[in-house]
Amino acid sequence: MVEVVGVDYRAGGKRILDGVTARFRRGRFNVILGPNGAGKSSLLKIATGLLKPSGGAVNYDGRAVGDFAPAELARRRAVLSQHVELVFPLPVRDVVLMGRYPHYGRSPSTRDVEIVERALEMVGMADRHNQHYPTLSGGEQQKVQLARVLAQIWSYDGPAEHRYLFLDEPTASLDIHYQIHLLDIARGLLEHECTIVAILHDLNVAFHYGDAFFVLDDGRLAVEADDARDISTELIEKVFRVTAHRLSDPGGGEDIWRFTI
Amino acid sequence: MWVALVLALVASAGIGAFTFSPETMVRHIGQAFGWVAVSPSDVLGRNVFLELRLPRVCLAALTGAVLGVSGTLMQGIFRNPIVEPGLAGTSAGAALGASFVFVFGSTSALTRPLGSLAVPILAFIGAFAATMLVYRVSTSFGKVNVFTLLLAGIAVNAVCGAGTGFLSYIARDPQARNITFWNLGTFTTADWRGVEMVAVAFAGCFAISMRYGKALNALMLGEDEAAFLGTEPEKLILRLIIVNTVMVAVATAMVGVIAFVGLVIPHVLRMLKSSDYTFLIPASALLGAVMMSVVDIVARVIIPPAELPVGIITAVVGAPVFLWILLRQQRNGAASFYG
Repeated sequence: MVEVVGVDYRAGGKRILDGVTARFRRGRFNVILGPNGAGKSSLLKIATGLLKPSGGAVNYDGRAVGDFAPAELARRRAVLSQHVELVFPLPVRDVVLMGRYPHYGRSPSTRDVEIVERALEMVGMADRHNQHYPTLSGGEQQKVQLARVLAQIWSYDGPAEHRYLFLDEPTASLDIHYQIHLLDIARGLLEHECTIVAILHDLNVAFHYGDAFFVLDDGRLAVEADDARDISTELIEKVFRVTAHRLSDPGGGEDIWRFTI
Repeated sequence: MWVALVLALVASAGIGAFTFSPETMVRHIGQAFGWVAVSPSDVLGRNVFLELRLPRVCLAALTGAVLGVSGTLMQGIFRNPIVEPGLAGTSAGAALGASFVFVFGSTSALTRPLGSLAVPILAFIGAFAATMLVYRVSTSFGKVNVFTLLLAGIAVNAVCGAGTGFLSYIARDPQARNITFWNLGTFTTADWRGVEMVAVAFAGCFAISMRYGKALNALMLGEDEAAFLGTEPEKLILRLIIVNTVMVAVATAMVGVIAFVGLVIPHVLRMLKSSDYTFLIPASALLGAVMMSVVDIVARVIIPPAELPVGIITAVVGAPVFLWILLRQQRNGAASFYG
């Protein structure tokens, strides 16, 4: 479990997070929701150990995040950002291999190389491994980054420890096909000793994939729910400043939301 | 590339006002170690070769290696292919620090306790201050702004250039001429003492740099991503700036400012093979040594019996390359380099 306890965060004299407590439990697809400027990215950066909170604590399986050596933490958790640009030309394979950096010293083992190949296969980019990263489209670049973080916390052959994957609005540059592809891969990781913590903007996508929800509003946790049905329409309307209509899915799935302002 | 280095070194040792055949070189080296007797007719040639030519060849190769590696490191730190020690003020800062010692002599109150290390130490202080200033000004929120970087480089170079100019103005005549000449880079003053200093600085800094190849690769993704991969970007950048400044300062203190080598070397290697820093760092040391040896040969033979400052040759070759990279960067956006 990744535990964020009573976290405050201030930057440039502004209060970004105010006493946020969230427990991202193991084996779950945890979703952080909230409007722009609610503090979602700051919460994610604090949970990953990148930012130090002004107050409060972050624990990984009961151990303070600050007690981990940087490389040790990197073997436990990976982060997929919205968009990663590269100024220099580097073949796709070399970018994915970076995910294995925390695992080897001078040169990669045969296992590291094999993991890189398998990660590229998983995202459907195996045939592009020699292409230079900057020449790929935005969506293809995002798939390579997914392969890189998969390689970093490779979980498919029974890892020794539990792993955490953080997703920061990972589908922003993807078309519908690859959004589903990416989130299905993430969801599949739950069966392999892995926990997901994701910031998602599309509420329908969030409610479909998630199984624990943390709604942030103006730096505070507005609601925490294990079931989308426990989140009231009124709360969504207030937090996101929209009028929400909840339609039941004739196919028997989750409710479908429509929004107007 | 090793073969090219050996060829360049031998050629560089042989060609010049005195020409030495490979056999003569071997004989003189043998004489240096006392394996071969020195015949009276050989004394002049032996002295020229061992005391003038050979240190010069070594110094040129070492300086080339320093500047090549430095360009690679700085491009990694600034995440941009146009950065090199000449551009970011490192060389100019070192020159200012060093000319301070040249003008006030090694006996002033400030420099006396430092002894013969006064020149490299002051050069380091100047170079470090200049580099940090340019880095701080051009970076905000973990991102480097290319235009601010260029402008900050121009400003710092101008200030350091003015400082050096002022020092040479108040200096007595022979010192002043030295500063001017040495501002363009020269190997004519090479001696074994200089070779020793640059060799030690280079060996240490190179060994440390080699450990950061992976981290520099990760830094290509940006500071946050590099941190997620288990590196500590802020510490990494500070350490590499120090390492880089030490070797550039020592080399500059010995040979003066030689621009554009640090730009051209990594650029050629990126085009030929890869931008992977675990490859670039050692390869740029080798190619830098080769290129500088060749440039030094040209400097010696182009207008005999006079010598051209090497900085002039590197600028003539390097400046067009610099403009070309800049043009491509503007046309295609920074992301589509060499692609």
